[in-house]
Amino acid sequence: MAQKVDIALVDKVKDELANLISASRDSLEGCHYIDLRLGVGEGQGAMAQDGMSKFSLRDYRFSYGIRVIAGNGTPAAGYFGQPLGSADVDNLAGVIKEGLGKAYERAVANSRAKSDRLDLWKTLGGSLQSTELAPVKVCRDTIPAVYAVNPLDIRLDEVGKLTQEVSKAVGAYDPRVKVNQVMAQTSLNRELLISSDGANIDRTYALTQGLCVVVAIGEGGVQQTHYDCVGHQRGWELLTDGIEEDMIRSKSLMGFALDLAADNVSLTDCKPCPSSDKDVVVITDPHYNTLLVHEIIGHPTELDRALKLETAYAGRSWLLRSLKENMLGKEIASPLVSAYSDPMLPGFGHYEYDDEGTPVERTVHIDKGVFRGFMNSRQTAATLGVKPNGHYKAIDSSLVPLIRMSTTVFGAGKDDPQQMIKDVENGYYVVGHRIPSISESRENFRITSRKVYEIKNGELGEMFRDGGIMANTKDYLMSIDAVGNDLRIYPVFNCGKGQPMQAKKLGNGGPTLRGYARLVGGAK
Amino acid sequence: MRELSELKQSVEKALAFLKTQPEIKSAQVFASANNRLWTRLNYTSHIPCNGVEEAKSTDDYGIGVQIVLNGANGNMIGFGSEERDLSLDGVKMALDKAKQGAITDPEFRSLPQPTGEKRTLSDYHDPSVMDITDRALVEGGWKILDGAISSFLESQKLRDMAPGGALHDLGLIVGGDLSIRQERMAVGSYDIPEVQSDEAAAILANVTSMVEKGDAKGSGYSIHLKLSDLDDEAGSEAAANAIGSLDGVRLPSGDYPVILGPQPVGELLSNLIIRSCTTGAFYSQQSCFMGKMGQKVASEKLNIVDRGNARGLIGSRGITCEGLPTGETTLIKDGVLSGLLSDWYEYQRILNDPKGGEKLGVNPGDVRQALLPRNGFRFGIEGGRNFGGRPSASATNVVFESPSASDFGSLVRQVKKGILVGRLWYTYPIHGLRAGDFTSTLTADSYLIEDGEVKAPIKVNTLRINDNIANILMGIRGMTAETRPTILWPGSQIAYAPVGMMVDKVHFEAIAEFMDSAY
Repeated sequence: MAQKVDIALVDKVKDELANLISASRDSLEGCHYIDLRLGVGEGQGAMAQDGMSKFSLRDYRFSYGIRVIAGNGTPAAGYFGQPLGSADVDNLAGVIKEGLGKAYERAVANSRAKSDRLDLWKTLGGSLQSTELAPVKVCRDTIPAVYAVNPLDIRLDEVGKLTQEVSKAVGAYDPRVKVNQVMAQTSLNRELLISSDGANIDRTYALTQGLCVVVAIGEGGVQQTHYDCVGHQRGWELLTDGIEEDMIRSKSLMGFALDLAADNVSLTDCKPCPSSDKDVVVITDPHYNTLLVHEIIGHPTELDRALKLETAYAGRSWLLRSLKENMLGKEIASPLVSAYSDPMLPGFGHYEYDDEGTPVERTVHIDKGVFRGFMNSRQTAATLGVKPNGHYKAIDSSLVPLIRMSTTVFGAGKDDPQQMIKDVENGYYVVGHRIPSISESRENFRITSRKVYEIKNGELGEMFRDGGIMANTKDYLMSIDAVGNDLRIYPVFNCGKGQPMQAKKLGNGGPTLRGYARLVGGAK
Repeated sequence: MRELSELKQSVEKALAFLKTQPEIKSAQVFASANNRLWTRLNYTSHIPCNGVEEAKSTDDYGIGVQIVLNGANGNMIGFGSEERDLSLDGVKMALDKAKQGAITDPEFRSLPQPTGEKRTLSDYHDPSVMDITDRALVEGGWKILDGAISSFLESQKLRDMAPGGALHDLGLIVGGDLSIRQERMAVGSYDIPEVQSDEAAAILANVTSMVEKGDAKGSGYSIHLKLSDLDDEAGSEAAANAIGSLDGVRLPSGDYPVILGPQPVGELLSNLIIRSCTTGAFYSQQSCFMGKMGQKVASEKLNIVDRGNARGLIGSRGITCEGLPTGETTLIKDGVLSGLLSDWYEYQRILNDPKGGEKLGVNPGDVRQALLPRNGFRFGIEGGRNFGGRPSASATNVVFESPSASDFGSLVRQVKKGILVGRLWYTYPIHGLRAGDFTSTLTADSYLIEDGEVKAPIKVNTLRINDNIANILMGIRGMTAETRPTILWPGSQIAYAPVGMMVDKVHFEAIAEFMDSAY
């Protein structure tokens, strides 16, 4: 019988794998660099719908990914990744060596083909470069997980029972709740990064998430479907007790799901949100701003996007046209606005080193309205001539990392959110995020919300359903005239990027903001 | 990659073993092996780049076991899988997980049963695609780039734009990928004991090109079933389309008649229509067609058919991941909602739903044939048939047809002032699927039509659509007979979308005006 896969496995293999990488770098002709990521996770999850259990599973995940940069003329990269199973434990080094060989072959083939094109493409071959990585401090570190209740100490039937209880309670909340789905998952994960430069990072982290979807239909036939999640790099206690930290606050899964149900039901009695022909005053709450900062700050400040690597997929960034033409150092927002990405903030987006072993640091994107910088990787940092800041991450070791958000937020201001509303004669208060649509270079957005309240003479009035705001990004950012002191971080469980698609968990957030945008309701 | 015979043997031995376990009432075993290869492209003339950015792959194989056990409160259902072990040891590990996770689901009726339909498609792919080498993978990507670069170098229009012949200063971009999908699977169960297998492979290229100095963008695609057909077409098409999109114009907000190209049709299909055309969407009351089975939901000029068993079409499979035959499901006929995509579980669920009649608008039993589970697949988010996943309804080849098709030219001639929409971006049902409201932006390959002629390209990222899918479907005024295969992300589903679909009115908002003076 094959050996069991658990996170303790990493201790048994780390030295052997470090030797393999080091020896391969020296022995493979024309090899400049190798990095290996190995991931092991143990976890469990369950799902219930309308109070009925639908699924539960306890399982492991185990995988690795290799990058090789090689080539005598114009070095290039090759990659190989593979999920693994129990049957691979006894011969892990052998399996990885085989994968390393494939990555090397691809790098060498790629390097030759690139070198050929330098002349073949005439004047257009001049931009082809050797694949280079900006230098970083080589680190060796071991980081333990943080939790109160070990995800692996919970019995699987407890996980299933919680989802069933919550789903039953949501279904019983009100007859207008027609369908609901509740999912819970909790896991312990360990990731090892070894590079031929000598990096050796061994990180363990807990991850727990609860997700709820509610479909409510009012007596008049109005249907509302909303979903939301709670999540953190903590143990099972997140779902049973909730969490109360400075920037992250959430109820237990039960409390959270019932709040969602209450919102859904109340919205079925509401009129559809009107649309405005012109910009109006809009105040957006931290939960709405979670999706707003994600779409109009986080994504356009990913340097791979800005350097056009994502032109065919996630799009470019209006913040950079070329290395000479870009918004660095220019005003793109009101002086009240700041925004940054910081992997050391708590939540889904927390980590200490990225998937190249770069030690992380806060990356400021906007400082008092002026655009200051991008999230990057070692390769993209080399292209732009800046220091790497540790944002190269994959959701699984078998996949090639991309530049991803860690936790990207609007910075806190000084204004009292209640006063921000009281100051408005006519406007709208936009609460809770729903669904986004952004133009290709992020220069325009339309993001719907859970609720929209009319503001009249500083007071909240009628609540509307099916509304949101639409604006050109720079125009909106320049219009911000108040920033609240209530910064909150929320989990985002499904940010998609890449080919193949990687749906990453990360953090976003911000305080209450006030600015100007078009209010948009439904189509006629 | 694991051989088909190995997967079949593994399933046979697994079933034989499971039958020795008295607590197991019923079981289904699914084994698969998948290889997904990509060359990711990134060429920029004005920024240092690598050309072929990534030559990469992931491959997997393993076995999944679904079991039905006797429980105190009725049947218990469990699922477990094991990666990279097709032996009995692997089956036993999967079984242990299935037993540990077994639950009682009152809505579970049975594992898939024969539907009366027979398999009609076998031996339909090019074996040479299964044997592609690393070198060929890398060269395939460079070939596509060669096509684009040739188009740039040969373009007089670009030479005229570039001062002193410095083409590289024009901000030429080529991005996208060549992806190769290789799948093998075998499935068997107590109720369908003859172990069946399937093998499929396809090559897809998806390229975007830009002349950034002129804010011009173009797309190119190619889809092949044979390795020998792989060429530079996608690259040269994308570059040519980008060059053709130079000197783009801005249009004001308003309602315009449109002709949708194949990619926008695919985008709307994938994000709104198909998602609403599954039995699961009706059960959970989220479809935008709730209560409308047998009723008009679109123009009478529209037929949409899912053809999973069509030889020569890219998305075809011989059998589903539940061991049932693929086939043809008519979703919309002459504008009338006529059928839904389904997997076995959701099919049983809607048939036995006391509110099924209210949800569909007809008694489910009366339209049973239209709901047959021909589309239960375990497609993974990365593509491939995932032994660790449970089946859900997925489209295969979604074919658009019209009882009164036109040619592209005659559609264009009917438009006094309108828009040829070539590529949509970030299309989402903005107020939930059921409301049907959606938003999207025009990002490439789009043109102003005036007085029956295609007059000028539209500047990229300057228009947003805010409308409702019902308006689009009801507003279809004509469609071409000619279709083009269009990849529905992540590539396991393909739309054979019309080259042109005319819709009488769509609402647009002008956007991103500040970008005109940003650089």
